[in-house]
Amino acid sequence: MNIVVLVKQVPDSGAERNLRTDDNTVDRGSASNVINEMDEYAIEEALRIQEAHGGEVTILTMGPSGAAESIRKALSMGPDKAVHVVDDALHGSCALATSKVLAAALGTLNADLVLCGAESTDGRVQVLPHMLAERLGVAALTGARKLTIDGSALTIERQTDEGYEVVTAQTPAVVSVWDTINEPRYPSFKGIMAAKKKPVQALSLGDLGVAPSEVGLDGASSAVVEHSKRPPRSGGQKVTDEGEGGVKLVEFLATEKFV
Amino acid sequence: MDFDLTPQQSDLRDAVAALGRRYGHDYFVAKAKAGEHTTELWDEAGKLGYLGVSVPEEYGGGGGGITELAIVCEELAAAGCPLLLLVVSPAIAATVIARHGTGEQRARYLPGFADGSLKVAFAITEPEAGSNFHKLGTTARRDGDDWLISGRKCFISGVDESAYVLVVARVASGDRLQPALFMVPVDAPGLTMSKLDMEIVSPENQWLLYLDGVRVPADALIGDVEAGLPALFSGLNPERITVAAMGAGTARYALGRASGYASTRQVWGRPIGAHQAVAHPLAHATVQVDLARLMIAKAATLYDAGRDLEAGVAANMAKYASAEAAALAVDTAIQVHGGNGMTTEYGVATLLGAVRAGRIAPVSREMILNFVAQHVLDQPRSY
Ligand SMILES: Cc1cc2nc3c(=O)[nH]c(=O)nc-3n(C[C@H](O)[C@H](O)[C@H](O)COP(=O)(O)OP(=O)(O)OC[C@H]3O[C@@H](n4cnc5c(N)ncnc54)[C@H](O)[C@@H]3O)c2cc1C
Ligand SMILES: Cc1cc2nc3c(=O)[nH]c(=O)nc-3n(C[C@H](O)[C@H](O)[C@H](O)COP(=O)(O)OP(=O)(O)OC[C@H]3O[C@@H](n4cnc5c(N)ncnc54)[C@H](O)[C@@H]3O)c2cc1C
Repeated sequence: MNIVVLVKQVPDSGAERNLRTDDNTVDRGSASNVINEMDEYAIEEALRIQEAHGGEVTILTMGPSGAAESIRKALSMGPDKAVHVVDDALHGSCALATSKVLAAALGTLNADLVLCGAESTDGRVQVLPHMLAERLGVAALTGARKLTIDGSALTIERQTDEGYEVVTAQTPAVVSVWDTINEPRYPSFKGIMAAKKKPVQALSLGDLGVAPSEVGLDGASSAVVEHSKRPPRSGGQKVTDEGEGGVKLVEFLATEKFV
Repeated sequence: MDFDLTPQQSDLRDAVAALGRRYGHDYFVAKAKAGEHTTELWDEAGKLGYLGVSVPEEYGGGGGGITELAIVCEELAAAGCPLLLLVVSPAIAATVIARHGTGEQRARYLPGFADGSLKVAFAITEPEAGSNFHKLGTTARRDGDDWLISGRKCFISGVDESAYVLVVARVASGDRLQPALFMVPVDAPGLTMSKLDMEIVSPENQWLLYLDGVRVPADALIGDVEAGLPALFSGLNPERITVAAMGAGTARYALGRASGYASTRQVWGRPIGAHQAVAHPLAHATVQVDLARLMIAKAATLYDAGRDLEAGVAANMAKYASAEAAALAVDTAIQVHGGNGMTTEYGVATLLGAVRAGRIAPVSREMILNFVAQHVLDQPRSY
């Protein structure tokens, strides 16, 4: 099975993250950048499928040149090779444009299965897998907490708030996964050393036949007009229990119209 | 000299740190208090090749240097899991065998070091010979093709977890006695051990060893009789560099805990870190720790470049600086935590014994100062 895993580099969600003041895009310069956490689960799932069924695992990343570091880290977990779509004109691309570019790149890769994280920790829109499937004309199995493969038949347990749904499709398909699906491996030292020698193909917009005007800030279908920091939490109200604590709590809930 | 980590070294650092974080200090302390070992962590790190980073590739190791092994030691310690056996087994024993073992010995033992499945303790210290190993009383004498080893060893770490102890014993060479190294199976008849009670919170234990005519075959001797002294010395730099890295990691862990606490704990309506009496000692300790790390990087770089003599000076200085910095960092971290600093829950006082021991073992601060006085400052030997 030929598997492509989408890997996005994002600012570390454990550290302070900012938007840029000049164009309201994610500030990648001052942040420490890491592999989008959910994507690590997609990589792990791909590797497990490869171990069970053979085939090849390719990492696909769209991102600035600094994303090469995340590609290297992804490869150190075990995938065979990577494709890095890198072009200055991509800066500020919206989800629609991103899906267009990734679909074009996938067009060159002949994947049976495209795996990706259910969301990225910076954008958190969860739309990309659907958009990609639409553009590629293949099935979208999204939000998987379990994936089983039988020949060309894919079955997922789709995680929902209430429980899960069983959804099936045939390859080729796009499958997005949650962090409930597996436990990603740590790269072995051999994997780390091997990653250095694995092929990483760089593709520009020109290589993909996508016009710069269709992507980037200017080509974006949506724009962040303004942003501000979340206001600090206000002090709240402390209820000291001097025998009437319960009454005071109910009074508070009633005035705030919670009850 | 360039101390910038290569991308691969920096990926190793991140990977080991992530593994260490999953276990963490609570795991380490729980194992210590239950009298158990950190076997899961050791085995997992071994399978991932982290314990064998510096074992030659032809034996299944990572083919890296002491820089890589120091990264592993530091990052596990920085996650709250300072594993002393890393210093003993992969740093000392594996280096000695890789450098001075016969081809057969390398083929037999190195693959086990490569994946961590082989643990080897190291026994040099004796009740009457600690700092002064010229006074070693343990001897090995030939009996046919075999060797018979007799003597006593003390403070030997991790014997109960190990398959072998690499024992330093003196053998007759002409009319002199000189040190030689022997791979002694822990279950060899005539070898008995008893546990020392130590005031250190650690899943690794120190042991008294009694060797009463322990019989080992000829090929238990590492290299040959003449290889003894160089073999012994070859383990010293890796030992010092990795133990220093472990100290630096422990210090980073403690300072991380302390700065996190100081920036949130409020006593007078603002975080205690706003008081210079709290912030300055933390800053001071941080400076000491980072200076030690710089010297560790220098020592490791020199060692990996094959510049053993210069590495010797740097490794000793790194060991000294790191042990002092780690003791300072842990003490400061405890102080910053107030009463919480002495609880098990906050996980800093749990390091007190270990960092204090770091100023004594594996080589005491005084012996390093002797070394520096003599070899760097050209002072007469004082003992
Ligand atoms: C936790 C721990 C783990 C250990 N693990 C191992 C192990 O795995 N294998 C092993 O072989 N050993 C191990 N040791 C032993 C350790 O290496 C020795 O304790 C150390 O080398 C000091 O030797 P000693 O205890 O005999 O002290 P001594 O040599 O008796 O020294 C006592 C004091 O006198 C000072 N001193 C001695 N000579 C001089 C001098 N000439 N000038 C100035 N001061 C001097 C020393 O610095 C020290 O402060 C371990 C020790 C500890 C605490
Ligand atoms: C073994 C032990 C026994 C104890 N027994 C008792 C007992 O029997 N009864 C009892 O009531 N208490 C007891 N205590 C509590 C002890 O008195 C407190 O731990 C101590 O007063 C420090 O308070 P704290 O722990 O709240 O630290 P904090 O007040 O939180 O202080 C944390 C750190 O910040 C520093 N700091 C705080 N404010 C300032 C400032 N303005 N300027 C500079 N530095 C500052 C402190 O010096 C400390 O280093 C005990 C504690 C221990 C460890």
